Amino acid sequence: TLMGARLAASHGDRQEPKTNPLVSISDEPETLYKRLSILVKGHDRAVLDSYEYFAVLAAKELGISIEKVDKPPKTIERFTLLKSVHIYKKHRVQYEMRTHYMCLELKYLTSSTAAVYLEYVQRNLPEGVAMEVKKTKIEKIPEHIQKPVWDTLPQVEETEVKS
Amino acid sequence: SPLSPQTRAARVRAGKGDKMVTYEQAHAPHYIGHRKGWLSLHTGNLCGEAGAAQRALEDAFLRRFLAGTFPGLLLDEPVLKRRGNLLVLCALLGRALPPHKLYFLQGYCETLLGHFYKCPVRLELQTLPARLPYKFI
Repeated sequence: TLMGARLAASHGDRQEPKTNPLVSISDEPETLYKRLSILVKGHDRAVLDSYEYFAVLAAKELGISIEKVDKPPKTIERFTLLKSVHIYKKHRVQYEMRTHYMCLELKYLTSSTAAVYLEYVQRNLPEGVAMEVKKTKIEKIPEHIQKPVWDTLPQVEETEVKS
Repeated sequence: SPLSPQTRAARVRAGKGDKMVTYEQAHAPHYIGHRKGWLSLHTGNLCGEAGAAQRALEDAFLRRFLAGTFPGLLLDEPVLKRRGNLLVLCALLGRALPPHKLYFLQGYCETLLGHFYKCPVRLELQTLPARLPYKFI
């Protein structure tokens, strides 16, 4: 009876093909990206390090090739204010804000891969961390530039001008 | 009268040895980023990001609001986190109130603040029997 139930279920599956509503198939050619540059900014170096480990692991699991992981030096924004409300110009207080950066560069992606990876990585962005994404598209050279101009012009007879 | 040479910002002055002090209170503001963490996490203060003043104002209002809805229950400063549009408030409470009242206050905070700031608000509460002492100054 169990074997009969399994055979009936498999027949039912073949008659109704399952289409996942989240997956869309289109015939348009996908835009290709030469480089996907993700710059992550944060106040805490440890948070950025753990996020880098997570993003690199996600890229490896999805099969995306990583060009390089760059860590630009931190920028410190300092300002000096008066310590007191009224006078005492010689006594000041200094505050600073440190921004650490981490740049992740991925190469040779399709638009759907980039969309999936960016959505996953952005949903898991920790609080207090900002991200900027730059995409470098590869496009075909437009038709009017494909051949050099001097090949297509009609041949002009050179007339020597004697002064 | 001239100013005293010592800064008095966010520092608990040494006493006789009976004053209980938590980890947060014991460390001065120059330890933030080294021994202390941040109480409010948002992207307004990063280089090239805007909105620092609005976040600061929202933080001040939220801390007063939480101090008012949980009078005498807040053990430590609440931690405010912003992930995209979502605002997460993490607070440590004492065990003076029964759980059903805490759940009501949590729902009240979340709906009211959601309507004020037009964004989803999540309040994560944890109860402890008492404040955790780090040092006795």
